[in-house]
Amino acid sequence: MTDEPADPGPPPTTYTGRVRVTNPLAAAPSHVRRSVRQEIDESTGVGEVYMRSLIRLQLRAALTVATTLVLSIGALPLVFLAFDSVTEFRVLGAPLPWVILGLVVYPCLFALGWLYLRQAERAERDFAELVEPERPEERPEA
Amino acid sequence: MNTTYGVIAVALVAVATLGIGAFGLRFSRTTSDFYVASRSISPVWNSAAIGGEYLSAASFLGVAGLVLASGADMLWYPIGWTTGYLMLLVFVAAPLRRSGAYTLPDFAQVRLQSDAVRRVATLLVVAVGWLYLMPQFQGAGLTLRTVTGAPTWVGTVLVAVIVVINVVSGGMRSITFVQAFQYWLKLTALLIPLFFLLHAWSDDGRPSPVAPSDWFQPFGEADGPGLYLTYSVMVATFLGTMGLPHVVVRFYTNPDGHAARRTTLIVLALLGSFYLLPTLYGVLGRIYAGDLVASGRTDTVVLELPSRMIGGTTGEVLAALLTAGAFAAFLSTSSGITMSIAGVVGQGLAKHAATLPITRKVGLTTITALRLAAAGGVLVPLALALSAERIAVANSVTFAFALAASTFCPLLVLGIWWRGLTATGAIAGLVGGGLCAGVAPVLTIAWGPGGWLGVLMSQPAAWSVPIGFGLMVGGSLLTRSSVPGNVARTMVRLHTPEHVDVDRRS
Repeated sequence: MTDEPADPGPPPTTYTGRVRVTNPLAAAPSHVRRSVRQEIDESTGVGEVYMRSLIRLQLRAALTVATTLVLSIGALPLVFLAFDSVTEFRVLGAPLPWVILGLVVYPCLFALGWLYLRQAERAERDFAELVEPERPEERPEA
Repeated sequence: MNTTYGVIAVALVAVATLGIGAFGLRFSRTTSDFYVASRSISPVWNSAAIGGEYLSAASFLGVAGLVLASGADMLWYPIGWTTGYLMLLVFVAAPLRRSGAYTLPDFAQVRLQSDAVRRVATLLVVAVGWLYLMPQFQGAGLTLRTVTGAPTWVGTVLVAVIVVINVVSGGMRSITFVQAFQYWLKLTALLIPLFFLLHAWSDDGRPSPVAPSDWFQPFGEADGPGLYLTYSVMVATFLGTMGLPHVVVRFYTNPDGHAARRTTLIVLALLGSFYLLPTLYGVLGRIYAGDLVASGRTDTVVLELPSRMIGGTTGEVLAALLTAGAFAAFLSTSSGITMSIAGVVGQGLAKHAATLPITRKVGLTTITALRLAAAGGVLVPLALALSAERIAVANSVTFAFALAASTFCPLLVLGIWWRGLTATGAIAGLVGGGLCAGVAPVLTIAWGPGGWLGVLMSQPAAWSVPIGFGLMVGGSLLTRSSVPGNVARTMVRLHTPEHVDVDRRS
């Protein structure tokens, strides 16, 4: 079909040599392994699933921390209000509410943050291994 | 009180601040240095800098003053300010850093691809910054008057001038050094005098504070308003921290999202250690300086205690150390806020300058724009601080937190975790939440309504934050068709660790 007149192709091909014609399926590798990275880069359905699962995992960790805060610190005012006797209790010579609000709360907040950090970094490590299984983990566990 | 030591202390802090700033200037060359210290600050430096910047006059002087005046009720403030960092850690720290933007308006643009959202966010950064700067400037005036007897405006103007010089000369990189230095200065300045004071208290036979019984209770008035105020403070401080522009800009200076998380965790430890101290000052103040409550000068309790409890040269030297710490608090927080206002406004200026014929001829560079914006941004809060009547430092700071919690908190949380956010929804939330939380301080300061309206207005966060979130979600759902097309790619960018090699183009 080289002399097709209605061909709109930009440069008219003048090539007249012999052309080897093969079945495209025969030249293609029998099986392409697509990496998760490609899936994500090309926003395929599979890539989306991986991304959504990472985001959902991280969001769940964040919401767990938030819920813990609401149920602990958030509940304290109501506890003090409901159980008047608690506020009379003394620890180390100071009233219990003062000890809790002025001292105990702070290490607890740090511990909660530390637990979250571990969880979030583990999720990211797992994700990295999934996406780039060939690459060894280069970031040392600090 | 002998004024010599106090003057020396203030002078030393001022000189050290300018000196360290000048030292940092030697490394500041590029635009990136100015705005985000070229993103090369390690977690240890960065967290000390964040602590230095965050612990403002409200923390250094205000908490002790509030505890002296109102007792256990007020312990919620430092708790909220610390918990705010935990919320920041879990909801925004790493994704915010990975968004790769310089400022909050940048984030809005990266996520929503809208210039309109960017402009609204810029206005809000300026509003939050001004609300936060005003009490800092006023506190500085108060401190200098207490220590040296100088008129109130002297301290106010002094802090404003030093801050502008510092920002104008060195930008973000020199400020990072200054802030880190000031965290340790503030901690030392509270810690060392406290040992002496506790010793004096021990020698005195360990008297207990004398106060009405409701001072000891977490709820003075156990009925409606007390509970509402407590929860409103919680909402404002838990959610407001992540939206403070001077806090957020610090996260861009981390090398990556991983470092951003670590920085935040160290900040939690630094803040927790610091906030153990002001409470003790407040309690000691109740024992030895109860008269300050009647005279309405509770914010000065930290500065007054050494001369009242110890006296002599020791007392004066300790008071001078506390003055130095307080001044460091004003300087570091004000520098941080001014820097973030300047960063946001300067970017806008530079952008506009490129389009206007006059300024294009002059050749307004990004760095010049930053410097102009820093000088300009300080003028309004300075005028406000000089003219407005004083309200307790920690209280007025809460308005800034409430405004940030009602606007930037929904923008960040929904922007990072919810694909459905649209530009229209974001604007609805920013404007609606901003109006609600912005009207409250104006009404409270200008008019001061009584009853439940006054209560609702004095702590708006509990109702303005849900309104901000609601408008943002509702507006986005109504304009569902205009979800930005590249949202999937943006999510990849926000949430994948940096060392995973994926396509992050937006």
